[in-house]
Amino acid sequence: MTSLMGNQSGTIGYSFSEPTSANVKQHSFYPYTDNGGSTLGITGADFAILAGDTRSTSGYNINSRMVPKVFKIGGDDDTGEGATIILSVVGFAADGNALKEKLDTVVKMYKYQHGKSMSVSACAQRLSTILYEKRFFPYYVHAILAGLDEEGVGALYSYDPVGSYEREQCRAAGAASSLIMPFLDNQVNSKNQYIPGSGEGHALVPKKAEPLDKETAKKLVQDAFTSAVERHIEVGDGLQMLIVTREGIEEVFHALKQD
Amino acid sequence: MRGPTVLKAEDDKTRQLNKHTLMAFSGESGDTVQFAEYIQANAALYSMRNDTELSPSAVANFVRGELARSLRSRSPYTVNLLLGGIDPVTEKPHLYWVDYLASLAPLPYAAHGYAQYYCLSILDKHHHPDCSLEEGLALLTLCTDELKRRLPIDYKGMLVKVVTKDGVQEIAVDNDKVVRSA
Amino acid sequence: MAQKVVEAYETGSGAGKNAPFVPIVHESLDLQADRLLPSQSNPFDINGGACVAMVGKDCVAIACDLRLGMQSLTISNNFPKIFNYAPSTYLGLTGLATDVNTVSDLFRYKVNMYRLREERDIAPQTLANLVSSSLYEKRFGPYFVSPVLAGINPTTGKPFICGFDSIGCIDFAKDFIVSGTASDQLFGTCEGLWEPDLAPEDLFETISQALLSAVDRDALSGWGAQVYIIEKDKVTQRLLKGRQD
Repeated sequence: MTSLMGNQSGTIGYSFSEPTSANVKQHSFYPYTDNGGSTLGITGADFAILAGDTRSTSGYNINSRMVPKVFKIGGDDDTGEGATIILSVVGFAADGNALKEKLDTVVKMYKYQHGKSMSVSACAQRLSTILYEKRFFPYYVHAILAGLDEEGVGALYSYDPVGSYEREQCRAAGAASSLIMPFLDNQVNSKNQYIPGSGEGHALVPKKAEPLDKETAKKLVQDAFTSAVERHIEVGDGLQMLIVTREGIEEVFHALKQD
Repeated sequence: MRGPTVLKAEDDKTRQLNKHTLMAFSGESGDTVQFAEYIQANAALYSMRNDTELSPSAVANFVRGELARSLRSRSPYTVNLLLGGIDPVTEKPHLYWVDYLASLAPLPYAAHGYAQYYCLSILDKHHHPDCSLEEGLALLTLCTDELKRRLPIDYKGMLVKVVTKDGVQEIAVDNDKVVRSA
Repeated sequence: MAQKVVEAYETGSGAGKNAPFVPIVHESLDLQADRLLPSQSNPFDINGGACVAMVGKDCVAIACDLRLGMQSLTISNNFPKIFNYAPSTYLGLTGLATDVNTVSDLFRYKVNMYRLREERDIAPQTLANLVSSSLYEKRFGPYFVSPVLAGINPTTGKPFICGFDSIGCIDFAKDFIVSGTASDQLFGTCEGLWEPDLAPEDLFETISQALLSAVDRDALSGWGAQVYIIEKDKVTQRLLKGRQD
């Protein structure tokens, strides 16, 4: 064992590469940046909301107060008109944009080749594949995809950076996800809530999670973000919301604190 | 044990602190006995000076205090402890779990080291608050059998001691019993 | 988040030939680097636990979880982290369990001495300063705890809460204080659920929901909770059953 530890300096070393004591200048390039921010998605019986703050940071600097994180996917033109699927990306903004562009192209190509729009479930699977293709040099993003499923019910899929995904009712991602997610568990999925008077002590009946109506969901999104802004420095400036319904995609902006 | 060599097969890793309190220990060899006997001597000193015995909770807190003091010294004791005893006044049983960081937790059942991973789930399932001595010994057998079955090393059996209101007594166990894996 | 590149490695040619092979370790841009670092090196994350205090109308509440663990192994599900120092003054301690024990015992001693000398109970504000100076005494070898204090001043009758870092810097808050391994989650739930001037029963509901929802998103906290609702001449203690995972 000792013979293999060629150096006495305490660092990891091998007998075949003796370390030099000279100051070797080491260069490195790290290809990722964390641009902060947070995103959040909630679904209901006939809608899906994706929201994100519009601040872009690097370290303690604010790059911009207006960089959207939520995009329309597969629209007819560059305004995104005619799209039925939306995507939010948070983490490394450059990768987020590259991912958005790639998925947008794929969904458009699908329409040209098959003469019909891509379903959200198909798009969800395709996004997973796109992410996993770069398994060993990942897109450094947490993505959330939303739209309406074949029954017209709100659908939301959340992803890890390498394409593992899951359909959920709601999901928070990004810098303030740890602040927002437990709040959503409580308010959207009624976790830890019981029906008053339904039993004594442990026999209490848990409250069932009811699908939210659109206005309640929009209010919850706003509350979640104003809360996150208070306690997380990387979140703020503006709140962008995209709401998918059968009528199309509505885009709403709200101001958030700029401090 | 020293490295992979077994030095002694029947080493008593317990010390009696007073009539109703027993302490079991594991950890760095050398530290363990040194610390245990230091505690044992101090508990005895207290009993002699005051002509009364410290309750298990008092002993536990004393032990924890000494271990916590040692933790921030130049050479801390690396000792994990289990402290069991009967309160001589209330005649209620107590068990304390103390790790080498001097975290103290009163528990209904406890273990240290790898035994935690093998035994705690068994105890979670089968232990109940008014467990009798017979049930307790049966439960202990479930645990030791599991250790024999699943531990990759032969740990040369157990030494079992029971603390009752009448004091500490050793219980004979069949350490040669062979338990086969499924 | 830590903005530093710890080590870099040489690629193949030239100067790298005689350099030691040092694996590349980047802390800066891992999306959630702080949380993914091995917890064994951080004394605050070994045993786990969470604590929160809130102000209401003429009342305060303080609550904690009941878990004691060693990394991922749960040792006990009955390890309360709130300690009583006067009829309406409570101190919550999260962090390294051994220091939770040590510090709670130390303050029991100090507060008992205070009571004997002064022949009166300690006020929450006084205890806050005692906690602060006692922790700062250990400035260069601190106790790894994050205390939370809640109480009602016996003379003014006004609610008081505050929090501390491990070396005694006081955080006077008008709304709520959080601490422990679930502090991020607690910030989110408290900021979302808390409102000013809650009555005792509503404050109980708010703090309970905030704590339970927060610890359910933290692997190192939970396994039940304890809640104290402190009013001028009444303290209500409740035990909450939470998820047992």
